[in-house]
Amino acid sequence: MKKHAIQLNVNGTDYDLLVAPNRTLTQTLREDLGLTGTKHGCGVGDCGSCTVLINGAPVNSCLVLAIQADGSKITTIEGLAEGNLLHPLQTSFIEKGAIQCGFCTPGMIMSSKALLDHNDCPTSQEIREALSGNLCRCTGYQKIVEAVSDAAENISRGGRKES
Amino acid sequence: MKRDFDVVGSRAARVDAPDKATGRAKFLEDLSFPGRLYGALLQSPHAHARILNIDTSRAKRLPGVKAVITAEDVGLVKYGVSPARYDETLFASDKVRYVGDEVAAVAATSLETALEAIELIRVEYEPLPAVFDALEAMAEGAPQLHEDYPNNICAEVHQEFGDVEAAFKECDYIRADTFRNKRQDGAFIEPHASVADYDLSGRLTLHSATQMPHYVQRTVAMVTGLPISRVRVVKPYVGGGFGPKCEATPLDLSASCLAIRTGRPVRMSYTRQQVFLHSRARHQFIHEMKTGVKKDGSLMALEHRCFMEGGAYSSFGIATVYYAGSLLGAPYRLPNMKYDGYRTYTNRPACGAQRGHGGVAARAAFEQQLDFIAEELGRDPVDLRLQNIMEVGDVTCNELSMSSLGMRECIEAVRDGSDWRNKKGRLPRGRGIGIASGFYVSGAGYPIYRSDTYHSTVRIKLQEDGGGVTVYTGSAEIGQGSDTTMAMIAAEVLGIPLADVRVESGDTDYSVDLGAYSSRQTLMTGHATREAAEDVKRQIVEVLAEELGLDVEAVRFRRGKVKFQGTDVDIAPLRIRYIKEHRGWSQQPEGDELTFLEAARMAYLKKGTIVGTGKYKPPTLGGKFKGATVGTSPAYGCSAQVVEVSVDTETGQVFIESITDAHDCGKAINLTSVEGQMEGSISMGLGEALFEEVKFDDQGRILNASLGEYHIPTILDVPDMKCIVVESNEPNGPFGAKEVGEGAIMPTIPAILNAVRDAVGVAIHELPLTPERVLMAIKEKEESQ
Amino acid sequence: MLLPAFEYNRPTGLAEAFEVLDHYAEKARVLAGGTDLLVNMKRKTVVPQQLVGLERVAELLGVRTENGRIEMGARETAARLAGAADIVRDLGVLAMASAKLGSPQVRNLATVGGNLCTARPAGDLPLPLLVLDARVVLAGSAGEREVALDSFFLGPGQTVVQPKEILTKVVIDRVEPGTGGGFVKLGLRRTMEIALVNAAALLTLDVDGKTIKKARVALGAVAPTPIRAPEAENVLLGKVASDELFAHAGKAAKQDARPITDHRGSATFRLDIVSVLTRRALHQAWENARKQ
Repeated sequence: MKKHAIQLNVNGTDYDLLVAPNRTLTQTLREDLGLTGTKHGCGVGDCGSCTVLINGAPVNSCLVLAIQADGSKITTIEGLAEGNLLHPLQTSFIEKGAIQCGFCTPGMIMSSKALLDHNDCPTSQEIREALSGNLCRCTGYQKIVEAVSDAAENISRGGRKES
Repeated sequence: MKRDFDVVGSRAARVDAPDKATGRAKFLEDLSFPGRLYGALLQSPHAHARILNIDTSRAKRLPGVKAVITAEDVGLVKYGVSPARYDETLFASDKVRYVGDEVAAVAATSLETALEAIELIRVEYEPLPAVFDALEAMAEGAPQLHEDYPNNICAEVHQEFGDVEAAFKECDYIRADTFRNKRQDGAFIEPHASVADYDLSGRLTLHSATQMPHYVQRTVAMVTGLPISRVRVVKPYVGGGFGPKCEATPLDLSASCLAIRTGRPVRMSYTRQQVFLHSRARHQFIHEMKTGVKKDGSLMALEHRCFMEGGAYSSFGIATVYYAGSLLGAPYRLPNMKYDGYRTYTNRPACGAQRGHGGVAARAAFEQQLDFIAEELGRDPVDLRLQNIMEVGDVTCNELSMSSLGMRECIEAVRDGSDWRNKKGRLPRGRGIGIASGFYVSGAGYPIYRSDTYHSTVRIKLQEDGGGVTVYTGSAEIGQGSDTTMAMIAAEVLGIPLADVRVESGDTDYSVDLGAYSSRQTLMTGHATREAAEDVKRQIVEVLAEELGLDVEAVRFRRGKVKFQGTDVDIAPLRIRYIKEHRGWSQQPEGDELTFLEAARMAYLKKGTIVGTGKYKPPTLGGKFKGATVGTSPAYGCSAQVVEVSVDTETGQVFIESITDAHDCGKAINLTSVEGQMEGSISMGLGEALFEEVKFDDQGRILNASLGEYHIPTILDVPDMKCIVVESNEPNGPFGAKEVGEGAIMPTIPAILNAVRDAVGVAIHELPLTPERVLMAIKEKEESQ
Repeated sequence: MLLPAFEYNRPTGLAEAFEVLDHYAEKARVLAGGTDLLVNMKRKTVVPQQLVGLERVAELLGVRTENGRIEMGARETAARLAGAADIVRDLGVLAMASAKLGSPQVRNLATVGGNLCTARPAGDLPLPLLVLDARVVLAGSAGEREVALDSFFLGPGQTVVQPKEILTKVVIDRVEPGTGGGFVKLGLRRTMEIALVNAAALLTLDVDGKTIKKARVALGAVAPTPIRAPEAENVLLGKVASDELFAHAGKAAKQDARPITDHRGSATFRLDIVSVLTRRALHQAWENARKQ
C-alpha cells in the first residue's frame, strides 16, 4: 500500500504523518501518537468509545480513515485538561460518580463537550440525545446526565478546577 | 451501633476517577511492550466436527511468523473453572464443539501477519451432527459432546428440603408456570485482551483484562506447566467485567504459551465479534415452577425444575445450576423446596457466570409467579410479599442464615417512594406498575477450588516518612469501586484523609484475593483491609504509648491527628524531633495536636518499616447436603424495585417510565458507588428484560455478534432511577457492609414483567419482551376474549 | 478490527474523481462518510482494491434552491439535514428521518449520497426522499443523468449506479404550500437501530385545508428495497383527511409490503406494524400540512 503524507492538528499540536490508507483515525491516535485515551470497543461505530471531535463535531474515529482527517483539527480526551486544570466536565464526572470502569468515559466526555460547546444550558433530554451514541454498561447513565448538567452550570458560572 | 464516620459512608470521589476522566488510565490495549508480537486465534467454523488433520506448515513459513501452536504443541491439559468440571483444553484435538472453538494460535510481528497466518492454517474437518437446544441435547440419540457426560448432562442437581408433596396437599392454591430467558452477553465496552511476557528467569507475567487474577494465575500455571510461583497475573484498569471476565481465557492461555515459546511479549485481544463467540455469559434457563400457598397467603412449597442450555464447556455452569435453585430459599419464608436442575452441553459457546449468576432468571420466574398468586388470592402484591418475608436470624429451608435482612425496609421504601398505593389499580390501560424483590450472596462461602485458603489477604505498608499508607491487595477493581472502598476503609481505621491512602491492586504478587465475583470484595477484601489497617494502627499506637508512658487504650487517631484520652500530653519533644529531621521543609506540622504524620514517622524510627496484614475467610457455612456450599455466604444482600411502564398497545413497545429501587447493602461504604451499582444493575436487567438475546442460526453461528444487533440499553432507554439505600448493619461485614454489585439486578426483570401485566393484562413467560412478543400476547388475549 | 489493504485516491474535484473511476471501474469504490462502507470492509463483505475518497470534492457539498428546485450535494451529512433551518423548514420529513439515523456521531459522518447508494432495505433517508419525489443525479466523465428515486433501488445493496458513476446530487422540487410530512421508525431501542419497519408520508392538502391533493407513502424494511405504497396512496387521494382514512390507508399499505421473516422479526409482525406506522406517519403529515 502506498502511504500518504498527512497533517493532523491534535489537541493544538500539528503532526506530520505518513500513513497507510487503511489506518483508521483511532489507530493513528492511539498507536502512532500514543494518545490512548480514545478507546476501541467495537470498531464499527456501535459503541461510541472511540468518539473524538473533528473540527468540533463528535464522530466515531473508528469510521474515519486517518487520511480523511488530513488537515483537520482533532480534539481527544487528552486535549481537555490544561496541565492539571481539569475541564469542568471532567471535574463533574469525577464528583458526581459518573465514572465506574472508565472505558466509555473519554467518548462520553467528548460527546458531552460537543454538546456544551453549542448548548450551554441543555435539558436532561437534550443531554440524553447528545449522548445517545455512547454506550455505557456500568452506570445506567443516571450520574452521567447529572454530571453533564452540573458541568453546564459550572461553566456558566465560569471556571476550571485544579485536579 | 451508630457511629459517626469521617470517610466511610461519604460520597468521596473515586480514587481512580481523575485518571479515567483524563484518558491517563491505562487499560490492557493501552499498555505498550517494546518488542511485542501479536497473537491471533484460529477458531472453528463448525458447531461440531471431528478434526482429521491440521497443517500449519504454510503458516509457519510466512515471514514474520514466530510461532504456531496447536494441541500437539501445548498438550491437552484439562482445565475449567471448577476442578469438578475440568472439561476443556486450550486447543481442540479430536474435535471442535462450537463455532469459535480454538484450534490453534499464531504469534507474528504484526497483527496483519498473524491474521494472514491464521488463514494459512489448513484444518480438515469432518462435520458432525450438532445439537443446540437444552432439551434436545438431553434426549436419546442426541449428538454427544463429551464422552464423560452421557446425554450431554454437564451437571444435575436434585435437592429437597422439607416435603413438597405433603405441603402441596395442605395448600389452598397451587400455581404452575414455565418461564424462559435467553442467552445474554456481558457486553462490557472493553473486549478481553491479554499480554503475556516470559522473562529470562523463567517467570511469566500475564497482563490481563480480568476480574480474577488469582484464579487465572492458577489456570495459567496448570496449563503451561509452570509452577504457580513463577506465574504472576496483573490486571490494569478493566473496562467492565460482569462475570464473563472471571476465568482464564484462550487469550490468556495462548498468549502465555506463545510468550514462553518465542521469548517475546505476546499481545492478543478479541474483536467484538470474538467476545460474543467466547461468551461465558448468562445461560439460557427454562424454569418450571409450581408454588403452593395457603389461602391466607403464606407460602408453603416450591417445586422447581430447571433446564439450562450451557454451551460446549462447563465454565461456571456447575455452580450456576446450583444457584438457580438455592437462591430461591430466601427472602421469603419457604419451608418446603424441591429443586431439580440440569445443565446441558450444547454445540454453542460456553455459558458462565454473569451478574446475579444463576439467580436472575429464577428470581424473575418466581417473582412473576408471586404476582399471579396475589391476583388469585385478591391480595396486593406488596402486602403478599411483606407477609411472607423472613426476618433477621431466620434460616432458610436450605440452611442459609439471614444475619441481616433489610427486606421489609426495602419493600416499604419502594412502595412509598413510587407512590404505589395511589397508582396500583388506578393507572389507565397501557400504563402499569409492578414490584419485585431480590436476594443475593455477599461473596461465595467457599472458593471455587476446595481449599482452606483465605479468600482475601491484604498488606498495608505505612510509608516510612509517615505521610500515608499503601494498601496492597490482589482484589480486582473493575469499575465497581473496590479500590476506593478499600482506601476508605483504611483511611477510616487509621483516622487519616482518603488522599493519604494509596491502593495497589489486581496483582497476584500483592496478596491472595479470590477476585471480583459473587459480589464478595466489599465484605471479604474489606474485612482483610480493615484488619490490616487495625494492625498498622496497633503498631503505631504501641510505639506512641510506650514513648509517652500511656495506656494503648488512651491513643486514638482521628482526622489526621492523634487524640489522647484522659491525659494531657506534652507533644513538644516529639514535634521538635520531627522538625529537626526535616530541616529545610517549608511545611512543618503545626497546632496543639500531634499529627498522624509525626506519630507514624516515630513508629518507623522505632520499629523500622511497619506493615500490617489482614486476612479473611468465612466460617464454615451451610448444610451438609450435596451442593450445600453453593448459595452459602457470610451475608446476603436484598432489594426491591417498583417499575412503572407504558405499553404501546399497537406496536407492543414497552417504555420504562420510572424505577424506584431500594437495596440493603448493610452499610454503604461509599454512597455514590452503591447507587452506581444499583443503577448499573437496573440498566443491565432492563436490557435483558426488553432487548437482549444472543441469536443463532441453525448452524450454530451467532447472528447478532455486534453491539448494533445485540441491543444493550442506550441512554435514551433508561429512565431516571430513584435509588434508596437501606442499611441493615450486617454483623459479618466490615462497618456493617455487604453486597450491592449483583443483588441489585434481581428485581428488575420481574418488576418489569409485573408492570407490563398490570398495563395490558398479559402475562409473558419468555424474555426479551420485544415489541413482537408483547404485541402477539396482546392480540392473543384480545382474540380469546 | 482491521481494514483490509487498499490503495487510496484523493481527487480534488469531480473531474479528477471521474478519471480515477474510469481507470479502475469495478475495482474501485467511492468513500464519503464511511459509516457503511468501512464497516463492510472491516467485516470483509466488501473488499475494494481502490478507494476514491471524496473529502476534497467540494462540488458535492451545499444545499441550493434554484428555480423551484432544491439541490443537495451528495456529501451533505445526516446531521446537517437534521438540523439545518432551511431543511427543517422546507423539507421537514427529511429532517425528521435524518435525525433518526444512527447516532449523533454517525450522523456527523453519514451522507445522503452514501445512505442512498448503500441501499439498505431498512435505510432511513430513502423514505422521506421517496415521498418527496426526489431525483438523484448520477454523473461520470461521459456526462450526467437524472434518475427518479423510485427507480433507483434494485435490491438489497443494489442500485442503478454504474461503476464509473458518482451520485452527485439529490434534487427535490419545491413542495407546494399545504404540504406536510411524517416519519416513524420502529426499532427495539430508541436510537442506533436498524428499523424493524419504518414509514414516511407526505400529504398536500387542497385549498380547503381538508382534501388530500397529493399523497405519498413510503415503507422500509418490508421489501428488498425501500418502496412506495401505491395501494395506500390510492386510498388517500382526493379524500378528506382523517385518522379513520389513515387507518384505511394503513391497512391498504399491508398489500404493498412484502416483508420477510428474519432474526429481527416475523413477516406477520412487520405487516401489523406497517399498518400502524403508516397511519401514524400520515397523521404526522396531516398535522404538519395544516401548519403550512
